[in-house]
Amino acid sequence: MSPRPPTLRENRRYILVRVEPAGTAIDPKELYYTISDAVTFLWGDAAAGVITQAVVAAENGHVIIRCLRGTEKELALALSTVTACRDVRLALRIVAASGTIESLRERIRAAKPVTEPLTEPATGSAGTGCAEPGECVFAKKPFLLVYCNGQKVDVIEKGFKNAHRLFLTRSDLENS
Amino acid sequence: MKITDAAVFPYPSGDTSVRRLALEAKTLGFDSLVAMDTPAGSFDGIEVLSGIILQDAPMREVIARVKRVMHSGTVVSVSARDNGFNRAAIGLKGVHILRGIQAADKTAFDHVTAKMAADNNVAIDLDLSVLIAARGIARQRAIHRYRDVLTFERRFEFPVSLSSYARSYLDLRAVREITGLCSLIGMDISGVEKCLDAIGRVMTPPAPAVRVIS
Repeated sequence: MSPRPPTLRENRRYILVRVEPAGTAIDPKELYYTISDAVTFLWGDAAAGVITQAVVAAENGHVIIRCLRGTEKELALALSTVTACRDVRLALRIVAASGTIESLRERIRAAKPVTEPLTEPATGSAGTGCAEPGECVFAKKPFLLVYCNGQKVDVIEKGFKNAHRLFLTRSDLENS
Repeated sequence: MKITDAAVFPYPSGDTSVRRLALEAKTLGFDSLVAMDTPAGSFDGIEVLSGIILQDAPMREVIARVKRVMHSGTVVSVSARDNGFNRAAIGLKGVHILRGIQAADKTAFDHVTAKMAADNNVAIDLDLSVLIAARGIARQRAIHRYRDVLTFERRFEFPVSLSSYARSYLDLRAVREITGLCSLIGMDISGVEKCLDAIGRVMTPPAPAVRVIS
């Protein structure tokens, strides 16, 4: 099949979203189905057929989502109703919309790296109340550090039970 | 004008500390939060107000608990039940918000209750978590109920507050996203701004209509 001439092609827009919490493994196919469900539940099949959303790329904690030009608002609203992808809790924060994928890729490159090495807070010098490297204490319980970025610290309780992620700050660990 | 999320549940009720919630709320465009069962404070320039929700308690107990926290700066909310209970709760001095109107029965909120809410400066809360996380009939019902509440609001002009009911920072939404979600219930940008400022208006005692100078 020969490609359509540019004047007959559909105009598309691309939305850049940041996936939170940081470090969440993203399967583009699973995320596509999640977004598709969210759009269909909110706007119905007819509107979903017009929006024609698709996950174009997933890289460095960001996802680029494609839609028909003029339906960005509807897609953005549907994205704000996404709360989980295959039982993994997440939030999609809209960063930018653009007419080209390349300009969004530039924004991803310009963004700070999503994960910082865990060695820095684990040394204890930052006052995170760490008992051992990579560990910390909060509410008198030992936790493992998962992610640190500036003030933000994500931890998981030690042990194979209750492996829930807690979202704290350095001040929380200092004061605990 | 203060942009306020009228209900968040920090650790231990949720998985995010109050400081982290404040940090994230700041990046999402909020000025203050009402944190349930958490002491008041200020973190990263975000004012955190203490809040309590009174639910499944008889009216006598509600009165006693409201008296206990009156004048402490705590945002007092009561969960909506039947119409009689709601009218009694709204008439109670010290109650700031009536919550969970979407979960109460159909007749729980009528024009008389709306008039009472306007007279007593009590906000009716709209729970955004239902619009975000619920699917199908639950969300449809909430949209219908919220539209109904807004019809009364346009007539009687009682305060309406917006709550994310966030138990995690992942449940928080940016002000722009909230504006989009509220467009589902027929609210425009100015209406959303007014609702996000409702806590400030509810917590500030109304200026007296007549002031004696001498």
